[in-house]
Amino acid sequence: MSIKVKNLTKSFDGKNVIDNISFEVHDGETLAIVGFSGSGKSTVLKLICGLIEKDGGEIITSEGDIAMVFQYSALFDSLNVADNISFALRERKDLRNKYKEEELRSIVSQKLELVGLKGIESKFPSELSGGMQKRVSFARAIVTEPKTILYDEPTAGLDPISSTLIEDYIVRLQQETNAASIVVTHQMSTITRTANKLIMLYKGKIVFAGTPEEMLRQDNPYTKQFVTASLEGPMHMLS
Amino acid sequence: MITFKQYLRQSTTYKIFKIFIREFVDFLTTFGDIVENGLKTLRYILTFQVNVKELMDQCVRFGISSLPITLSIVGMTSIIVTSQVASEMVKQGGGHFVGLLMSILIIREVGAIMSGFAIVSMIGSSLASEIATMRVTEQIDAISVLDVDPIRYLFVPRILSGIIMMPVIVIIASAFGILTGALTTKLTTELGYRAYFDSVWLGIYMKDLGVCLLKSICFGGTIALISCACGYQASGGAKGVGLATTKAVVWSFVAIVIWDMIFAIAFFF
Repeated sequence: MSIKVKNLTKSFDGKNVIDNISFEVHDGETLAIVGFSGSGKSTVLKLICGLIEKDGGEIITSEGDIAMVFQYSALFDSLNVADNISFALRERKDLRNKYKEEELRSIVSQKLELVGLKGIESKFPSELSGGMQKRVSFARAIVTEPKTILYDEPTAGLDPISSTLIEDYIVRLQQETNAASIVVTHQMSTITRTANKLIMLYKGKIVFAGTPEEMLRQDNPYTKQFVTASLEGPMHMLS
Repeated sequence: MITFKQYLRQSTTYKIFKIFIREFVDFLTTFGDIVENGLKTLRYILTFQVNVKELMDQCVRFGISSLPITLSIVGMTSIIVTSQVASEMVKQGGGHFVGLLMSILIIREVGAIMSGFAIVSMIGSSLASEIATMRVTEQIDAISVLDVDPIRYLFVPRILSGIIMMPVIVIIASAFGILTGALTTKLTTELGYRAYFDSVWLGIYMKDLGVCLLKSICFGGTIALISCACGYQASGGAKGVGLATTKAVVWSFVAIVIWDMIFAIAFFF
């Protein structure tokens, strides 16, 4: 077991954003979290990695680091690619003096190679395309060899070909690291190509849990509405 | 039976009251954040947990890049004061005290406060908008997820650079102010440089220099702390960055005037 979420709740200004949800993700598995915008998907990720505090419930993760890939990459724009990737190794209290400069350079180039970007160490984020920024943020996330990787809409705003490339790297990182991964996404291709299982959130509750294949069968009225992108169904746009 | 006018009056009062409460809560929250982040920063500084490379970069930003505008403001203030005072003092027979007056005025007040205002508008606003942008683009969240304390990485080098560089800026700006005073005196009166500088030395007291340095350390640290804390609080998008920057500039201006008043009362009352 790598991530176990039990009866998790979170509210903002008295409104339940996450309402008593539970799920598990094992090592080497990828869980997709889908749902409308504002249904609480990104909040789940922020709760797991500790950016916001939960109101109730339990989040149990295996020992080891938790990494997160942000929706818009969140690369540090004042640092070049190499410094972005090696940031945790240079600044984290327990890792600060562990590596020599040559070792850091070697780790950076190894991680860049893993995401298919060689020789861009000295470039700044503003000089990279959206897809390249996303891949650099993957490299930054896995630099500490995390046991859990969280992806917040990894293919948002990318063209279909770049999206496919990113999906391939999600699968590759899962195989390389054997980490438990959670992908928040709206995109059907990302769900079918990267996830082993999925949950659908609506108004902070899980309304469907199963595999991508089960979702595509459209037995559930919620998944049917989501897959067919229909305005008719049990879900209404959240105000 | 309540009339429509009474209802409207009540309703407006209620709205004003609500705005007042909201502003008051915002004031307390900002003040609390500044104190909390300031204490965390102090802990890191006292335990020597400082990123030296980042500190050097921030010192260059704080000191070197702000120097031209600071020198311009202090120099022009000196020209404004000297051009109005020097000729009058010469007429009244006090020409030999122009240098003394300018050195006291610049070392005690003009050098530090005008440099402070220049630093707030140039460096304070830039620090606040930089950190606010990092906040709204999730870069600060990324720092936290990578298990690095944003206070250590962002606040410590910036505040320390303010504490180190502000006295340097104030000394250079004050010297420049006294020099422009000499030039203005020479151009607007018949008084020579010799007479001006002879009296400048009479107006330089060790106590004034000490207070000036202490004051500039407080100004530098406070401007950097308030700017970082206001940027760190930002939320939303571009509007949030704008609001944070405005708040940082306003709070910094008020804070340096308060510091100035405290020093005036403590040392010259």
